[in-house]
Amino acid sequence: MRRCRIESFGSSPPRKGFFKWGSMKHAVHAGQLCLDGSRHSRADVELLVNSGVHRDGHVCEPAVAAYIQHALDINVEFQGRRTLSFDLQNGGCGMLNAVHVVSALMASGEIRVGMVVSSEANSDRRPDPGYPYPASGAALLLDISPVPDRGFGHFVFRTRDEHAGLYTSVISLGEKKGRLFMRRRVDELEDAWLSCATEVVEELLDREGLRREAIDLVVPAGISSGFARRLGAATGFPGDKVADLSCRFPDTMSASTFLALHDAVSRGRIAPGGRVLLLAFGSGITVGAATYSF
Amino acid sequence: MTFPKIRIESLGIHLPEKILATEALMASCRNRPGCDFERITGIRERRVADGEYAADLAIGSARRALAMSRYRAEDLDAVICTSISKHNRPGEFDLEPAAAVVIRRAIGAKRALVFDVVNACAGMLNGIYVLQGLIRSGAIRCGMVVSGEQNMPLAETAAREIRHRLDPQMASLTLGDCGAAVIVEASPDPAVGFHQLDLVTGAKHDHFCFSRPSSRGPGGVLVTNPRGLQRKGAEHFPAYLKSALDATGWTVSDLHHVIPHQVSVRAIRQGIKTVERFLGCVLPDYFLSCVDIYGNTTTTSHFLALHEFILRGAIRSGENLLMVSGASGIVISHATLTLDDLPDRYRAFAGKGELP
Repeated sequence: MRRCRIESFGSSPPRKGFFKWGSMKHAVHAGQLCLDGSRHSRADVELLVNSGVHRDGHVCEPAVAAYIQHALDINVEFQGRRTLSFDLQNGGCGMLNAVHVVSALMASGEIRVGMVVSSEANSDRRPDPGYPYPASGAALLLDISPVPDRGFGHFVFRTRDEHAGLYTSVISLGEKKGRLFMRRRVDELEDAWLSCATEVVEELLDREGLRREAIDLVVPAGISSGFARRLGAATGFPGDKVADLSCRFPDTMSASTFLALHDAVSRGRIAPGGRVLLLAFGSGITVGAATYSF
Repeated sequence: MTFPKIRIESLGIHLPEKILATEALMASCRNRPGCDFERITGIRERRVADGEYAADLAIGSARRALAMSRYRAEDLDAVICTSISKHNRPGEFDLEPAAAVVIRRAIGAKRALVFDVVNACAGMLNGIYVLQGLIRSGAIRCGMVVSGEQNMPLAETAAREIRHRLDPQMASLTLGDCGAAVIVEASPDPAVGFHQLDLVTGAKHDHFCFSRPSSRGPGGVLVTNPRGLQRKGAEHFPAYLKSALDATGWTVSDLHHVIPHQVSVRAIRQGIKTVERFLGCVLPDYFLSCVDIYGNTTTTSHFLALHEFILRGAIRSGENLLMVSGASGIVISHATLTLDDLPDRYRAFAGKGELP
């Protein structure tokens, strides 16, 4: 069976400067870069999934994916070719979940070209000091790989809901325009993620029938430098095989894993034919993993 | 390559017991709009959660669906929550963890893949579409789509903020609370299950309806331009309806029932007229509506109607259904399905006193 592959990538990393970008601006910037670098036209995109959680103005309806579709001018009218847009939310694992869903819809013949966009921003005038993420975004244009065995392999997700209280974010509706509050018990959270990641990596390698030597690079979300070091030890990979995006910019939540992948590819850390192991960490707590062959 | 159809293996609805009449809701408005809202919308009353929140409604419906299912919670491979309203404490809207995590924990679905799908009122059909892809690709065998809608906080804000009868928050007064869950699996019989699940977003019209925290005070608001939404929907949905029927190989005479999105009695009537004009024929009286007693329960409305009319004996096993949904975005969705023995099983289960 032909696999789902990343045909084009758009990255909108955290920016320095006086003017702040909101989640929509990051999403649209990343999406536009993604379309510009693709051989597909925007009309080819049959599905657009947004996996960002924290959005401008805390809008909860319609799907923010519809706003992104409109801004990117992807089949916006009902005439002619069509696109379905929806939001998929699962904290830091949302983007990997969305890729999994797009990959499944391709395998079941529903779509041929899909786009996944993720961006985060806290648009509050007085942001909660507990909110750690800089505004950022990433976009992927996905299609069916023309070459067998290239693209995404298996996906594994594990949720340990007994740790759900370690990471919560809510919008308080007690004041005008709402206000986002986030509570994370970082030390316990990292321990829970690492423990879950060990299982997830074992299961993924088992399903793929791969040994650790067959993985050229582990690409985790850029939680922190310390976390990347501990992750290598916990999952049995040498430290130089774990990409550490946290030295470039802080954790960017749902877009982080794919921003790290983009960074690793741009710096030439992955050769053609190389295989990477992607890891995402989110509230729930959930850890997701997938392999990708270039 | 042909893929198996998916079918609804089990259904669960959790309706709050408390009833709120439209008259009482209108009386609670600070500036009472000068119109007969009950006559305009046809909504007499709705159910409102009292001491329960969105997650409680979803969990209640998930437990009911599991009680009738041959699957146990630990057998579920996926739990997808499609709630729009995630009011789980007074004055708060939950973002993380995903609502599906909370539901998974409450029902004990220890193996399930979990995430939320949010696509306004088309959420549950969208969730089934996602599950269909996951089942057909072989990633999972069965899963649950669940939604709990506690919409009354939006109606309460509207009651405080509405200034006149054309206020864009008037649609918030049509809302009601409900929880719904379906368990979905591959259909063993190719003649039954979902034949077509067709969803499309016309994003140029994303401004007709939106929900966000109020800019005037506490609470969330639902701002709607109902005429614009209806006009754009009416221009396009009949063509998609016909294409869904054509793709299924059905004509309108093959249908036994149509379940429209339960927005208001008047909107449903206008929708029927629009389809009749488009098709150039008078349609039989097979449009099912329970909006008069439950209001608009957003994502759960199709499955609440399915529950209601199965229990009334109107929907029978083996019948062909068409579900039609219009959601903010604008999302137009159609689902054609042939029921297996679900209605018989559901009524038998209700006869044992297991269902409300």
